[in-house]
Amino acid sequence: MGMIGTFDSFTTARLGIYAAQHGLRVTGNNISNINTAGYTRQRIDQVSLKAGGADMYRSPYDNHVGNGALVTGINQIRDPYLDIQYRNTSPKVGYTDTWLSGLKDIAQTLDEVGKGIATNKNEEGDGILYAQLQDLRDMLLQLHNNPTKENDTLVRKSAETLCQLFNTYANNLETLRQNLDDNFGNELASVNEILTNIRDLNETIRNAEIVGDNALELRDERNRQIDSLSEYMQIKVEYTMEDIGGGKQVEKLTISLGNANSDPNLHTDETVLIDGIYGSKLLCPDTVNGQPNTNYTIQVSNLMDSRNVLPKNHNEVNAGRPVTLQDNDLYGAFQAMRELLTEKGEFATQADIDADPNAAVKRGIPYYQMSLDLLARKFAGVYNELNQGTMVDQDGNPITANTVPQKIPALKEIGGKVYAWNDTTKEYEEKPNWSLAEVGGVKYAVEESGGRKYFTGLHGTGCNIYRKIPVGEGTEAIFNGLKQVGAPAVDQTKLADIQADINAGKKFDDADVEKKVNDLLAEVLSGTNGTNGHGVTADTELTVDMPVPVGGPLFSNRNDGDDTTDITASNISVSHSWSEGDVQVVPTFTMLFGGSVANTTQNTNIDHMISKIDEALVYNPQDLDPNAVSQKLFEGSFNDMFSSMAATLGTNQRTFNVQLNSYNTQWVDIDTSRDGVSGVDLNDEAMNMMQYQKAYSAACRLMTVIDSVLDRLINNTGITI
Amino acid sequence: MIRATTGGVLKNYRSSLMKSYISQNNAMKTILTQRTFNSYAEDPASAAKAFRLRKSRMMVNNQHDICADTLKKYETAYSSLQSVDEVLDTDSGQYTKTLKGTTLSMLNDPSGDAREQLSKVLGQMSEMLVQNMNQKYGDKFIFAGADGHNVPFEVVDGQLTYRGVPVDAAVPKVMQDKNGADVKLNGDYVLASATTIPADRLPDLKQDGGAPLTVTASGKPYYVKDGAVPEAAPADPADYTQVTLKDGTTTFYKNDDLVDQTTYDADMASVVKQADGTTPAKVTIDGNDCYVMQGGTMTQQEYDKACQDAEKLDYLAKEKLFVDIGLGFQENEDGKLIESSAFDASLNGISFMGYGLDEDGDPKNLYSLVQKMREVADSVPVAGKWENSTWTEFNRLVGKFETACSEFKTEFTNLAAGTTKLDTNEQLLKDNFYNLQEQYAELEDIEPVEAINNFLWAQYAYNAALKVGNSVLSQSLMDYLN
Repeated sequence: MGMIGTFDSFTTARLGIYAAQHGLRVTGNNISNINTAGYTRQRIDQVSLKAGGADMYRSPYDNHVGNGALVTGINQIRDPYLDIQYRNTSPKVGYTDTWLSGLKDIAQTLDEVGKGIATNKNEEGDGILYAQLQDLRDMLLQLHNNPTKENDTLVRKSAETLCQLFNTYANNLETLRQNLDDNFGNELASVNEILTNIRDLNETIRNAEIVGDNALELRDERNRQIDSLSEYMQIKVEYTMEDIGGGKQVEKLTISLGNANSDPNLHTDETVLIDGIYGSKLLCPDTVNGQPNTNYTIQVSNLMDSRNVLPKNHNEVNAGRPVTLQDNDLYGAFQAMRELLTEKGEFATQADIDADPNAAVKRGIPYYQMSLDLLARKFAGVYNELNQGTMVDQDGNPITANTVPQKIPALKEIGGKVYAWNDTTKEYEEKPNWSLAEVGGVKYAVEESGGRKYFTGLHGTGCNIYRKIPVGEGTEAIFNGLKQVGAPAVDQTKLADIQADINAGKKFDDADVEKKVNDLLAEVLSGTNGTNGHGVTADTELTVDMPVPVGGPLFSNRNDGDDTTDITASNISVSHSWSEGDVQVVPTFTMLFGGSVANTTQNTNIDHMISKIDEALVYNPQDLDPNAVSQKLFEGSFNDMFSSMAATLGTNQRTFNVQLNSYNTQWVDIDTSRDGVSGVDLNDEAMNMMQYQKAYSAACRLMTVIDSVLDRLINNTGITI
Repeated sequence: MIRATTGGVLKNYRSSLMKSYISQNNAMKTILTQRTFNSYAEDPASAAKAFRLRKSRMMVNNQHDICADTLKKYETAYSSLQSVDEVLDTDSGQYTKTLKGTTLSMLNDPSGDAREQLSKVLGQMSEMLVQNMNQKYGDKFIFAGADGHNVPFEVVDGQLTYRGVPVDAAVPKVMQDKNGADVKLNGDYVLASATTIPADRLPDLKQDGGAPLTVTASGKPYYVKDGAVPEAAPADPADYTQVTLKDGTTTFYKNDDLVDQTTYDADMASVVKQADGTTPAKVTIDGNDCYVMQGGTMTQQEYDKACQDAEKLDYLAKEKLFVDIGLGFQENEDGKLIESSAFDASLNGISFMGYGLDEDGDPKNLYSLVQKMREVADSVPVAGKWENSTWTEFNRLVGKFETACSEFKTEFTNLAAGTTKLDTNEQLLKDNFYNLQEQYAELEDIEPVEAINNFLWAQYAYNAALKVGNSVLSQSLMDYLN
């Protein structure tokens, strides 16, 4: 039996009191933080104390008693696997929730279910823009019934309302896009703030750990920040131990992107965002590779600490930074915003599809904007075409009699392409192998043939000066071409001047020589006629009998003009000429017997217009964007097209809604499970409280007993009363 | 769950309570809006279908309006034509009865009153015809085809025109040789109805110092044919006529060589002459030389105009003006309206009144026929008697008039059939309208019993959730500690 210290038991009782008191403090802390977001319940680490080593004189009848309880630390109760599950589900919720929210915003404009006054005026639900298309049909029918100026005005007023609705819808969508664009910037700042917070928390926790502090509350805050980050993007969180020297190791947190891209060969989607005390930021630059950053491409900056100091192994960890993320490297709320801002669905170009194979089936705000634009353009195009034509007689033959012959240019620029007049078909035909060039401020059609270029002047639309100058590729070729033209086509003095420069050692890529060659070329090309000794041949102007034109455009891209090019939903207007009454809806292009028989109520052209409202037309995305890959967005009437947009939107909403419900349920379940491990429970804490209270009382009682025993021993032993 | 915590339970409760509240809100929204869905997202397929049905209903509504409007136009037209029909009815028609009575009384009309009465009746009838055919519906002329803003029938210089074209215009019948080639005279067409005389009726005359040789026989002047030889004492006096020359001497010419001067001059005045204005223009028809009486030719310009007017009338009689009354109203691939998909609402006045000329060259137009009859009646002198030929001519025209009336009746019947078709169609459209309304109502409108039941259930569930929440929040071990 070992020796028993006289006052050892006091220590045991004291440690018991300390331990119970500590337990009560932790319990109190848990109860206090029951409503603190992100708080992880704590518990004390308590061990039984055995003081000293072996006794000098050990007895084989050893009955060694410990020295009480010792509180060695305070721990958090957390399940890392649940954290991973939670953070894997978070981006799904963030992604679907953001998409759904964006689509709901679009639906506020495009979804007309239950809106508008119905035909019989006592119920709602015929739609607004949808019903206005029908209203235009009604007005056309009235005009059809009686083609008068008054009824033409009614059609125009209906068309004006329709245009205003197109404008309003387009403006709403654009405002929505701009708001989202602003919000994207704010969210980017929020993400960067989170990254900064995590980095700074890492540093603080590291410093605390070095001095032996677990920094539990800071870890709670860091977990909360990581949870928030996981809603924005899919991330991978890793904890490793870092050797800080002297045999001391501290925990190191690393956060990287969560490998969202399905391409296994891509690794930009695993870019490290936080590496211990070093953190990076997400950037959305104005330009990427010299091109405007219309795709909201994100870059990840260098890893730096809180003082903006690069890590010692900067060359290793920051190699290739800033990292330009690929289109699908992110997944979560942030990616959803990017997609809402950029995805064009069937309007996607090859470049879009190269960046994201699913680009053609992702439909963000631009898709709906472009669909509306395409609808407006198609609508305006159809009616402008129907309202412009040439007179025909009662048998449908073109009327060319009494037509003043017109001089028309042989070449013309239409929509950035070269068209040539075909005197047989009496129409302009596109010259597919010709291109346009501008030299000295003058536009030329350029034909490439036999390795040479032939410049043909396009001097406005009212005249045509046709001349050919053979010019090869590049400045040198141009110079050689000019020499080939020979005197007196080219100013020989200037030619000699250039030759002198070349002889003096100047190159053709020398700016001075290049300018001189091009100036000379411009001078040659800008000659006032083709036969004045410049060695070029003037084409003769064409004189043809033209059919009698009738009507004019009904819709334009501005209300103060008749320009019908590039009409979109945001700019579609009733043309100036129609507004002013200079143009009206043409009821018929038929002139009976040279005008000797009137047909004031004939309306075959209005028949066409009415039937076009319900005719199935093909909506080709390339009509809006020539680079679009798809050639068919939809086939149906104007109403059907608009309805199809809303149905597509509704279906997408529905899909995201189902997904969100599923992910959200999963998310709440995981969060509840996590709470089951880490959350504070009042019953639990009440039990702990009672337990520690009893322990405290017992320890105190122990002290009283020991005191009583020692009192007997010291004061009353051997004393006879 | 191994461990349920206060926070976890509350979080779960909050989530469930929110779901319950959302359900109740949705159920309430359904009742308030009385719609089964309030956005495309709720039911994209039904929403798209409902819009299509609503569009169809809007279209049917328009088609119904047009159909009703066209029907009214047809009814007005019917009413106008019925007035005409009453007049024209050859059995009991007001005017025709008078006409018949008058014509009968004309057989015994020594004072000429009956003929005068007849003229008046015919005048009134023609006026009435034009007035009825110029009726308007709204601000458009009913029988103007595709020119509803202008008066269709006008009388210009006594001739009825339809939209500026004489209603009696017809492709002129011109004389053709056996090879089918048009016979031309001085570059003009010779009408098939032209009167010709054989060339030998206007023989070349013997000249006497530049003027035709004129002789007198029995006090009557004669011309002598060119080549005729005078004989002082013929062998057979029966073949010769003794004539007196200008100088008073007498001689004999063959009977065949003398031409009655009065007849010759009259013929000469009546035949078409050459450009010099003196010599007759000779035309050879199938080898026979002849002359054409004046009025028997037509200039190229007149011919072309007549042909063009006839073409215009043909066109105007068949002119179409389509309206959409719910038959489809579609265009083919060439952009031409498929006629069977629309209703031709054009009422062309001349298809009722008739136009052009018949085989006999008589007008087919009712007005023109009445006018012609009136002209014939007026040609009878006041208090004079009807010549047989005049009477025959008048009766012939009455026969033509009856034929024209019959044509009118056919067209009138067609119009009545069109009216019936429109009437039936209007009813169909009305039914269709309500049918479509029912269809989309089935899709969109709630079943009140079901909706209220759903709401009450949602409300019950929500209230229960609240009740549970109260218990969750109130109880813990803490409440039992002393």
